[in-house]
Amino acid sequence: MTVTPFLSIKNLTVKFGGLTAVNDFSMDVMPGAIHALIGPNGAGKSTVFNCISRYYQPASGDILFRGQSLMRTPAHGTAGLGIARTFQNLELFNGISVLENVMVGIDAALARDGKRLSPRQMRSEAEAILERTGLANYRDEQADALDFGHQKLLELSRALAVKPQLLLLDEPAAGLRNREIAALDKLLVDLARKEGLTVILVEHVMQLVMSISDRITVLSFGQKIAEGLPAEVRQNQQVIEAYLGREGAAA
Amino acid sequence: MPISMPAKLSAAAAALIALIVLPQLTSGYVVYLANLMLVYIILAIGLNILIGETGQFGLAHVAFYGIGIYTTAILTSRYGVPFPVAVIAGMLLAGAIGFLLGAVSFRMRDIYLALSTFAFGEAMQWVFKSWDAVTNGPNGMRIPQASLFGFRITNDHDAYYVVLAVAIVTVLVTILLMQSRLGRAFRAVRESEPAALALGVNVRRTKVIAFTLSAVYAGLAGGIFASFSSFIHPDSLGFTTTILVLTMIVVGGLGSIAGAVMGALILGLIQELLRQAPSYQEIIYGVILILFMMYAPKGVIGALKARFSRSGSAAK
Repeated sequence: MTVTPFLSIKNLTVKFGGLTAVNDFSMDVMPGAIHALIGPNGAGKSTVFNCISRYYQPASGDILFRGQSLMRTPAHGTAGLGIARTFQNLELFNGISVLENVMVGIDAALARDGKRLSPRQMRSEAEAILERTGLANYRDEQADALDFGHQKLLELSRALAVKPQLLLLDEPAAGLRNREIAALDKLLVDLARKEGLTVILVEHVMQLVMSISDRITVLSFGQKIAEGLPAEVRQNQQVIEAYLGREGAAA
Repeated sequence: MPISMPAKLSAAAAALIALIVLPQLTSGYVVYLANLMLVYIILAIGLNILIGETGQFGLAHVAFYGIGIYTTAILTSRYGVPFPVAVIAGMLLAGAIGFLLGAVSFRMRDIYLALSTFAFGEAMQWVFKSWDAVTNGPNGMRIPQASLFGFRITNDHDAYYVVLAVAIVTVLVTILLMQSRLGRAFRAVRESEPAALALGVNVRRTKVIAFTLSAVYAGLAGGIFASFSSFIHPDSLGFTTTILVLTMIVVGGLGSIAGAVMGALILGLIQELLRQAPSYQEIIYGVILILFMMYAPKGVIGALKARFSRSGSAAK
């Protein structure tokens, strides 16, 4: 018996002018999994995310979400399908409050479910999400007044507000302190194990990747060089050379 | 919240009473000025939706204002259309043309958008000046006395309560609108288009809505202007007026309704003081615009907020 992949990337190729950023890349993500996508800087990880969220149009290949091709979905249509994301280089709504950033995410969930909330309900729902990500004390701050790590958490909060089924996280642990990484670790495991959320995680913090990932795919120069369980990827000679370097070889 | 809700409500009540008794206490000239400033408030709030909230530098606002004035004047004088119907027609026509302008220019941004909408504004002024058969061309056009449900508006005093009511309703509707999903979508588009898209905001449609809505406000302002003004000259519908309204929202504070109202009052007064020296007007608006952009980019309202906020250090 085979389980249908939740997200299936098939032979994806992305070109920018003469440069091939992603080359014939395929990857299957199983429902409820935390699937890490790792690789050196410039390997094409964020490009893959931008294709899933329909910001980039690939030169060839297909992406199936729950069996349906995304290639005809407009960029503003992915949230309606239950896909939410964060951005590597932060794309917060800087000039508005932390609370209102989250409300834009709630708007997306409400539009999808055809529901409405009173302003009061809206506010308490946004507060509940910020409570969960540890930003409740900053709710009335303007988003750009937060430090980098908190801005990363705000992007996660905003994405969670969409109530997604698939969450694309682009380096969520960047800028976080160890204690905050531990909290993020627990939050992501809760989301996947208890709430059945499927997560694709692009991350350089190996401690987090190795601890929570069900499966890891490794990209280097736009090509998949390895895929497997964390323990397998850790042992893979090609990965060690391309990515983990001497530190990985010593482990 | 630095200023408590009851304090805000009592201030609003006091302001309302002052506005209601104003015409009893003052001369026709002051009432004329008050009418004009209320029109400026509607204009400024409309431009703020496009530039302040949505971040789209459309500089054709005065064109839609002119469309509102001419439509109302022509429909009432030549076709005997009732005044309120003519005002609504002016709003709809301004909105339709605003929609078309938005639909062709949503791909452009920043300076390109500013330049192309500026060109559209200039072209519309040329139409007002040259389309003799309809607008009476460069001689300007007489606007007939408006009448509202059988009540004839013969002077500024008569018009005042109508203008005031429309301005207040406009402000209240806009406050609600900006707290709605659409208002958040406007700000999302202003702050980050990639994030807005990822959160399900149809960026293209949102920009076109902002253009259309902003034009409808300007059309309304034009129709209301026609209720108390007896003449429209195309020279007053030039780029200087767009810059005047732009300066209002920058001085008040971009993205703030209260700021747009304050800016309209401040610049309305300055314009009146400069009436004897029209050649200096553009220079002075330009200088004010530059000074605020450099030293108070969040405008008067931003400075007030910083002053009243409990954590004074948090204000940047």
